[in-house]
Amino acid sequence: MGGKRKKSESEELIEGEKDNDKNKEGSNKKKREILPSMIKNKEKRSSVHAKLKHEKKLEKRKKLKARDAAEKLALELGEEPPPRMVPRTIENTREPDETVCRPDDDELFAGNDADEFSSVLKHDRTPKILITTCRFNSTRGPAFISELLTVIPNAHYFKRGTYDMKKIVEYANNKDFTSIIVVHTNRRDPDALLVIGLPDGPTAHFKLSKLVLRKEIKNHGNPTGHLPELVLNNFTTRLGHRIGRLIQSLFPQDPEFRGRRVVTFHNQRDFIFFRHHRYIFETKEGKESDSKVKKAKEDSKSKKTKDAKGEKITKEKVIARLQECGPRFTLKLISLQHGTFDTKGGEFEWVHKPEMDTSRRRFFL
Amino acid sequence: MPRTTTVDCPGCPPLRALTFDALGLIKVIEARGEQGGVAKVVERWGEPDTSKCVLAASTDDSKHDPLLAVARKSGLIEVLNPLNGDLRVSISNVNDAGARPEDDAVVGLHLFRRQRLESASRFCTLLTCTTKGNASMRSIEISNLPEESSSSSSFKSWNVCASGTILCSKVDRSENYAVFGGKGVEVNLWDLDKCTKIWTAKSPPKTSLGIFTPTWFTSATFLSADDHRKFVAGTNSHQVRLYDTSAQRRPVMSFDFRETPIKALAEEPDSYNIYVGNGSGDLASVDIRTGKLLGCFVGKCSGSIRSIVRHPTLPVIASCGEYLDAPLHLDLSGQLFAHLGYKVTATSLCGLFLNSIVVFLKQHLTEVVFDSTFADKEVAQAAADPHIDETYNMKEIQGDETETLPVKRKKASKEKDNESKRKSSKEKTESKKSKSKKKSKRVKVESDDDA
Repeated sequence: MGGKRKKSESEELIEGEKDNDKNKEGSNKKKREILPSMIKNKEKRSSVHAKLKHEKKLEKRKKLKARDAAEKLALELGEEPPPRMVPRTIENTREPDETVCRPDDDELFAGNDADEFSSVLKHDRTPKILITTCRFNSTRGPAFISELLTVIPNAHYFKRGTYDMKKIVEYANNKDFTSIIVVHTNRRDPDALLVIGLPDGPTAHFKLSKLVLRKEIKNHGNPTGHLPELVLNNFTTRLGHRIGRLIQSLFPQDPEFRGRRVVTFHNQRDFIFFRHHRYIFETKEGKESDSKVKKAKEDSKSKKTKDAKGEKITKEKVIARLQECGPRFTLKLISLQHGTFDTKGGEFEWVHKPEMDTSRRRFFL
Repeated sequence: MPRTTTVDCPGCPPLRALTFDALGLIKVIEARGEQGGVAKVVERWGEPDTSKCVLAASTDDSKHDPLLAVARKSGLIEVLNPLNGDLRVSISNVNDAGARPEDDAVVGLHLFRRQRLESASRFCTLLTCTTKGNASMRSIEISNLPEESSSSSSFKSWNVCASGTILCSKVDRSENYAVFGGKGVEVNLWDLDKCTKIWTAKSPPKTSLGIFTPTWFTSATFLSADDHRKFVAGTNSHQVRLYDTSAQRRPVMSFDFRETPIKALAEEPDSYNIYVGNGSGDLASVDIRTGKLLGCFVGKCSGSIRSIVRHPTLPVIASCGEYLDAPLHLDLSGQLFAHLGYKVTATSLCGLFLNSIVVFLKQHLTEVVFDSTFADKEVAQAAADPHIDETYNMKEIQGDETETLPVKRKKASKEKDNESKRKSSKEKTESKKSKSKKKSKRVKVESDDDA
C-alpha cells in the first residue's frame, strides 16, 4: 500500500508515511511487549518472553547501579543518602491484629510467670524430653528421630510399642520428664509433630513438611555435644508467645557458647522454619586491605616488608561463616490444646478452622 | 473461603459486662452508644495472681445495691460491688475436713436474689458446690466495711453425690431448684428448700453394638424461666440432652453437636432455642424441640468456650473462651434470627458473619457476667441514646417481618424510627413501661429538634 503511494506522491508525504509506519510498528511492538501471551506461535512467544525478561533484568540492574552510585556520591559529599524503599510484602502488610503483644504489657509478663513453662524456663527443672513415635514407624522416621536426639539435649527415645498416649503421658510424668515429642509418620515419612508439655499441658499439634535430613544436605556439618543456643524469631502474638515458650521449654536455658551451635525456629507467615547450624568467626583479609597491601608493597619495594605486614594485620576482617547441620523442616500449627493429650475430651485453646482463612494477610503467630 | 459482604453493624447497644480470668483479674467491658458501639475494657480490678484464679461467678443485679459473688481457686469466696469493684465480704469455703482447696475446687456458685428482696435487709444467700459434691447454702450479712461483716446466720451443707466429680450446677430462675451433674454423676435435681434430691436421670441404654458411654456431664441449664422440670444437659461425648422430669428419667431428646465436648449451654428466654458452645470454639443456636441446628456463630472464636450468657433484656449473648484471641464475643442474636427466615443449613451459614464484637482480653477467661442494670442507668443519666432505641426497634420489627434482609430492614427502620418507636415502646411489657416512657419523651424532644 505504502509502496504505491511512494511512487506517485511527493517526498514529504512519503516521509510522513514512513513516520506513520514507524509509529505503527512501534505501537504493534508495544502491544506485543505487553502481551506475549497473545502470540500463538510457541517458539516466537517464548523468544519474545525471554527477550522481555532479559530487558527487565538489565533495567533492574541499571536501576540498582544508579541507586548505588547515587548513594555513594551522597556519602562522599557528606549528605544523607536518599532513604531506601521498603518493598511491600505480605508480612509487612499484615492485617492489624490486637493480639500482638507489646513490650509494656505487664499482664503478659504476669501471665507468662504463671504459665506451665515457667518452672522450666526459670531453671527450677531441667528439661528432659521423651521422644516417641506413632505406632508404625520406619525408614525416615527413625532417621529423623536420631537427628532430633542430637539436636535436643537430654532427649531420650522410647519405642512406642502399643501403648496408649495417655499411658505414655502418665509414665513420663512419673519419670520426671518435662515434655514429650511424638513424631507421626505417614507413608514412611514424618508428617506431624506433637509436643506435649508435662505435667499439665499444653499440647501443640504441628504439621511437619519439607523435611530434609542431614545426609541430604550438601556440605553439612556434624554437631558437637554442646548445649545449643536457641533463636526464636517473629513470635509476636499472644498465641505466638505461647508457642515460642513451648519450644523454648524443650531446650536447656544455659547455652554453651563454646559449642557454636545454633538452633533456629523462625516464624514467617505462620510457618515455623527449623534450622540447625554451626557457626564460626573467621579472621580473613578483606579485599581492600589486600589491594592496599599490594600497593604498599609496590610503592615501597625499597622499604622493609615489616611495615607492610603490620598494615596487613590491622586490615584483617572478622566474618561469620555458617555451616548447616540439619535436619531442616517446616512446622505449621494445627491446634493448641489445654492440658495433656486428650483428643476426645480436650479443651482447645486454639484450633485452625477453615473459616479463619479470610485473607492471606492474616496471621496468628 | 472469601470474606463475604459484611453486614452493617447497627452498633452495639450500651451494655456492661464483667469478665473473670485465670489470673484472678476482673475486667469491666462497656459499650456506650456515644462511642459508636465499640466495646472496650474500661476497668481492671485486682492484681494478677494465679492462686486467685476465678472458678465461678454469679451476680445479683438488682436496681439498688447490686452484688457480685466470685469464687477463687484459693478457696475464698468474695462478694463484691459490681459497680466499683469494692470488696464487701470475703469468706473461706474451706471446710473442716481438711481438704485442700486445690483438690476440692468450687464449680458452682449462685447468688440468690429472692431473700434479699423479701427481707430488704443486708443478707445475701450463696449456694456453692465443689467438685467432690459438697454443696452448701449460707447467708452472709453484709456491712459496708469488710471486717465487720460476719458469715452465716444459717448454714446448710449437704452432699450431692457419693462418688464422681461434679462439673456443673445450675439454679433455676425461681431459685427453688438446682441441678447438678458431672463425671460419673448423672444429672440430678434438688429441692433447695428441703435439701432433698427430687429426681435423678438414668443413663441412656447401650447401643445395639453393646457400647455404653460412661456418664460425664459438663454443662446444664434450665430451659424456661417458669418451669423447673425441663432442663438441658451437655455431655463430654458431644451430646446435648433434653430432660423432662415429669415425663421420664431418660432424656426426652438428644442430639450430637460437632466433635468436641459441650462446654457451655445457655437458654434463650421465652423460646425453645438454646445456645451451645463446645471445646473447639463452635458456638451455635439450636431448636431444642427438634434438635435442629438453627445457625452457627462464626467469628473469631477459635478456642474452647467456657461460658455463654444471655442478656436479660437486650438481644445479646456473650461468650467467653479459653483462647486469648476471642474471649468476649457479643452477638446480636436478633441478627441470627433474622437470617432464620431462610432455610439455614450449617454449610450456608459458614459465610454468614454475625454482628459480633470481639474484645481481646489477653488471658484465659473463665466466666462472663452481664450487668443488666447498666442500660437503665444510661437512659437515666445521659440524654436520649439513639442506639438503644434503634436496637429495641430492630428487635420489634424483626418479630413482624422475618423475610426481608436485615440491612434493608435497618434502613426502613430508620425511616420509621420516630413513629414506630412510640408504638413499640407502648407494646412492651409493663415492667419496662416507665423506662420506655422516659425514652419516648426524649425521642419527642429529639424529633422536635430535628423539625
